[in-house]
Amino acid sequence: MELDEFRRSLDDWLDQNEHLLRPEHAAETLDEQMAQLAVVKRLTYDAGFMRWGWPERVGGLGGSSLLRAYLGEALTFRGLVEPGIYSMTEVLAPTMIDYAAPELAATMVPRLLRGDETWCQGFSEPGTGSNLASLSCRATRTDDGWRVSGQKVWTSLAQYAQRCVLLTRTGAPDSAHRGITALFVDMDSAGVQVRPIETMHGAPEFSEVFFDDVAVPFDRTLGAEGQGWSVAMDLLPHERSTALWHRAAYLQRRLEGLLRAAPAGALEPADVGQVAQLLFALRARSRATQRRLAAGERLGPETSVDKVLVAAAEQAVFDLVADGLSTSVATGDDPDDARWRREYLYSRAATIYGGTAEIQRNIIARRLLDLGTDR
Amino acid sequence: MDRAERDVFERGLRHAVEAHTGAALDAALLELGWPDALAQDTREAVSVLFALQGSSHTTSSALDRVLACAIGLDVPPSSGFVLPPLGRWDPPGELDRDRLVVRGLGTSSLPAGATAVVVARAVNTEVAFCVPAGELTLRPVHGMDPELGLVEVHGTVPKHALAPEVVSPSWSASVALAQLAVGYELVGAARTMLELARQHALARVQFGQPIARFQAVRHRLAETLVGIEAAEGVLDAAWEDRSPVAAAVAKALAGRGARAASRHCQQVLAGIGFTTEHEFHRYARRVVVLDELFGASRALTRELGADVLAARRLPAFAPL
Repeated sequence: MELDEFRRSLDDWLDQNEHLLRPEHAAETLDEQMAQLAVVKRLTYDAGFMRWGWPERVGGLGGSSLLRAYLGEALTFRGLVEPGIYSMTEVLAPTMIDYAAPELAATMVPRLLRGDETWCQGFSEPGTGSNLASLSCRATRTDDGWRVSGQKVWTSLAQYAQRCVLLTRTGAPDSAHRGITALFVDMDSAGVQVRPIETMHGAPEFSEVFFDDVAVPFDRTLGAEGQGWSVAMDLLPHERSTALWHRAAYLQRRLEGLLRAAPAGALEPADVGQVAQLLFALRARSRATQRRLAAGERLGPETSVDKVLVAAAEQAVFDLVADGLSTSVATGDDPDDARWRREYLYSRAATIYGGTAEIQRNIIARRLLDLGTDR
Repeated sequence: MDRAERDVFERGLRHAVEAHTGAALDAALLELGWPDALAQDTREAVSVLFALQGSSHTTSSALDRVLACAIGLDVPPSSGFVLPPLGRWDPPGELDRDRLVVRGLGTSSLPAGATAVVVARAVNTEVAFCVPAGELTLRPVHGMDPELGLVEVHGTVPKHALAPEVVSPSWSASVALAQLAVGYELVGAARTMLELARQHALARVQFGQPIARFQAVRHRLAETLVGIEAAEGVLDAAWEDRSPVAAAVAKALAGRGARAASRHCQQVLAGIGFTTEHEFHRYARRVVVLDELFGASRALTRELGADVLAARRLPAFAPL
């Protein structure tokens, strides 16, 4: 399947099935957005589109990863899915494909693609934010499997998730990045507790997750024992590739929504031009990254540039929203106002989640500019 | 060009651009077959040469050839091309009844050439004239960056003194190509500034450690690289896009990125970067002038914003 052919047939199919894909009422709450996501994933999976770009051994139909990038772009640009929750697949499925035992990946990945399941990513901990290698959630080896005890935080969608890609400490407490092991944990296991966190933008998008002596079979180990840091380092560039391409489409959609909604004279041409240029820059950069991914290149620290650009673009778009629709954002109470306000508030986190703006600049300084360590 | 040919091409150009400047570089480019490459593989010829010119702080009249190429004019290599005045991107000539009024800039080839190509706005179209150099008044520009070798051009030429009009050229395509060329030059200059600051940060020791260890310094340099990569990404994408708007965005981002590079790198270089004993100041001067050439980032940004506001949508750009 070539990209052009995929694009044509997908666009046609989306046009024809709009009535099935679009909810009667716009999904506002996170529950509604998750339900909508499941509908869209199921329909696109059954029609085949969701399977292109994934290997056949995990239920895919093969073909370039550009097909996945275009699918997410089209769904996002048409406002059929929220980009953040949609793109979790782009982050977690590649990890399973690369590191899970083949039978496990073959069983599990189709469930994620089809929208039967939601997965989450257990990385951060209360004492482990930017310094990921200091994590302490412990997995202890026993005769019949791992026993996991500890706590995770900022775990997106944990309250909806059936599975979790979990980073655990299996080495000595001070073993840093060497003593980390990745596990694939069932969220309905005894001893797992999830407490959603209320956020500033009004959606409990992430949770605290507590593990109290949770049993995890050995065959749920992703990669080898002690290889968890590699799993994490290979996962993070996926957070900064296809997912960002989808997010760029979302930002363009919302900017164009602003241009239609803003009262005449509320927006300064110079400000609009600058935001438009940021979106051009993000698209150009991210397209080059999609192409490198599709060509089989290994993504690395250079994707931190993509991440800095998307965070800057997202905040710039919603700063412009706060200017151009100031009444809606500040005092408006109808559903459109609430949505603008929610998205404005969520954009404040763009320089925090997925590695802060400072961490990205540290990576750029050390790995791309070769400035040596900062300690 | 394939990968190997491109490497050979780039090596040859690098050698020439690092060794020569001005008329000597023009001669070297002719010898290397750069004008032929420009016609055959415009993208490679423009992107490689101008990035090198920017990074090594040299000049040539290659911009004249780029404009001639974009317009499709077969003019002798000795003729110069009148560029728009600083900060503008409309044609430098205006037809006023029986006279051609010229206001613009030229590269170093203009004073040496026998003729100058002037594109002028006419009703609903643009036309090009070959004007005898003697009809124009030239003033060497010193200003911020005397080494750039620009000349200011003005003149009022009676139509009867002009060579016949050439077929209607596409000025917007010429501007787009020139904006890409100057954009690459800005990016090249910014990369050199970044490298100068990077070396300084690693070598300069204060409080018992290289200043490169300080996050305030590291983040400035990281920010500089992000600005450069953003501009270069759009420059590269603009070749596929082939729209005037993509080239204008690329130029604006390159100008803004280079000015930001100048600000951050000067701060990191601190005292030594403020002296003429360090070469930083030459690049800082150059990017101020190059940012203005074919439209400054501020003006291009405002124009894009006005267009986007009127259309209520972004121009299509960079499809997968």
